Amino acid sequence: MTAVEPTAATPSPRLRPERPAMLWAGTALLSLLTLLAVLAPLIAAHSPSAVSGQALQPPSASHWLGTDVPGRDLFAQLVHGARASLTVAVVAGLLAVIGAVFLGVLPALLGGWVDALAVRAVVFVLALPGLPLLIVAGALAGDSRLAVILLIGLLGVAPNARILRSQTVSLRQRGFIVSARGFGGGPLYVVRRHLLPGLGPLVVIGFVNWAGVAIGLEAGLSFLGIGDPGGVSWGLTLNRALGEPGIYFSDMWTWWVLPAGLGITAAVVGFTFVGVALEPRFNPRWLRSS
Amino acid sequence: MARDTRGRTGGWLLGLGGYAATIACLVSVNFLLPRLMPGDPIDALAAQSSSTFLYGEESRAALVEYYGLGDPMGEQFIDYLEGLLRGDLGRSIATNTSVSSEIWRRLPWTLLLIGTSLAVSTAVGIVAGVHLGWRRGKAVDRRLLAVLLAVREIPSFLLGSLLLFLFAVKLRWLPLFGAKTPFLTSASLVERAIDIGRHLILPVSVLSVGLVAGTLLVMRAGMVSELGSDYLLLGRAKGLPERRLKYRYAGRNALLPVVSLTALQLGFVVTGDVLVERVFAYPGLGSLLFEAIGSRDYPALQGGFLVVSVSVVTCNALADVLSRRLDPRTS
Repeated sequence: MTAVEPTAATPSPRLRPERPAMLWAGTALLSLLTLLAVLAPLIAAHSPSAVSGQALQPPSASHWLGTDVPGRDLFAQLVHGARASLTVAVVAGLLAVIGAVFLGVLPALLGGWVDALAVRAVVFVLALPGLPLLIVAGALAGDSRLAVILLIGLLGVAPNARILRSQTVSLRQRGFIVSARGFGGGPLYVVRRHLLPGLGPLVVIGFVNWAGVAIGLEAGLSFLGIGDPGGVSWGLTLNRALGEPGIYFSDMWTWWVLPAGLGITAAVVGFTFVGVALEPRFNPRWLRSS
Repeated sequence: MARDTRGRTGGWLLGLGGYAATIACLVSVNFLLPRLMPGDPIDALAAQSSSTFLYGEESRAALVEYYGLGDPMGEQFIDYLEGLLRGDLGRSIATNTSVSSEIWRRLPWTLLLIGTSLAVSTAVGIVAGVHLGWRRGKAVDRRLLAVLLAVREIPSFLLGSLLLFLFAVKLRWLPLFGAKTPFLTSASLVERAIDIGRHLILPVSVLSVGLVAGTLLVMRAGMVSELGSDYLLLGRAKGLPERRLKYRYAGRNALLPVVSLTALQLGFVVTGDVLVERVFAYPGLGSLLFEAIGSRDYPALQGGFLVVSVSVVTCNALADVLSRRLDPRTS
């Protein structure tokens, strides 16, 4: 969940290198969520943030998943929540890998003190505790959803930079790059022809993985009440639900907590499956060993 | 990163230097963050929407004066450091008590919750890992791994809420929230211990589920790498019982990485703890942070942050030292 992933450094069990079922399941989940996100206003009859009925109604023909306390439609919150979560995933994921290229790849190419400094910075940031830092910075930033997304993206820079840097360094020493240089290939030619194809897959995996992490982090933060209190997000729906004193004393739980929780799980699992399934296809280390 | 060329003491010193730098960074971030944000901390307190809404310029000026926000930055920083050295983390705005006493009051609950979770997840992870590694590749092995990895993806707060709904609401087996039943003063010591234990079951389960997969994988991988060892072959040739080979021989040798992993997890579990404590209204540090967010109690929020983050960093540093000490190959 955070930058300090305890199992990352340890040898993971060898699973079969090809995982078509996982790839299909992950892609199906993500496609479904994307569809929900894009068509949200068409699918949901009500607004997710405006009062559209009486408070705390059970599911009915008009409100498929009932309403929350001021009377907002919970089905609309579920559908629009997909939009919110995917936005977080894409923005934070992109920010993380773009930052990682600047902090991991470029310094490794430049070498010298820039590289040394970048390495130190990455190691240093990786040692900081991620979630507590996000909580305090997010809470201090006030009711800003954008700040939360940016902070999550920034948190992803260091772990991705570490992966990209080590790949860049190992690529630079490979025979084909050394000989391309020897035959007079300019730096741009080497980057375009050899470095990008070598790094691209890792960037894609890094993006997919961080997108999944970002959804979980954002859900956790809004669950704690960080971000825009009037906004729409699955974590926020859960925050309001568990803040409701009687949430466990009627069947409210099943239509208020469960759908939003399953939404978060589906999104995280979708990205994780795709990331895990792409890994053996893209990761050079897997290719070499299989 | 690779520091193989430096000697043992060099690496150790570097680790210590990095640790000190990280702590210094956390302390400074804690000081700077509220001051770098747009507006000053008082703005948020004085906002109409906040529960600490201040009336008039006078009370505002008094607060600025009290927190020394009018002083130059350098002076403020020195005051802040002096306070930290005295163990003074300021006063909570919401409860008007000293933040450090509030933290001391809640710390035992968090330690109890985290300690129990780590003990449970490590014990279960070791036993299951030994078992799965021993019969690697069998159907049990593959299925259990898949289930564990999938369960780990469920957000802890959903899992917690689900368990609450099932076991506390529907089945009424376990208490709904808190760390103990209030007003249970007449009960005997044993009854009170049982009461606290019953409150622990659900939050500990949620935290352990997140941790156990890591321990299990490491233990299993360790077992697998021991499987072809000569000493096992010799043991078998001597006719030693299978159980003994499994636990006493292979298991003990595979245990080493788990030790440093557990120390690492000690840092990791703190973050899950914040979310889980909110779900179960467990009165520890996580709830302190959550309540501080809700009431915009910045001194409490920052005090909690400092304690939590410094412990995380310390645990990670200890894990590093421990793994160097235990396994000469890593240093």
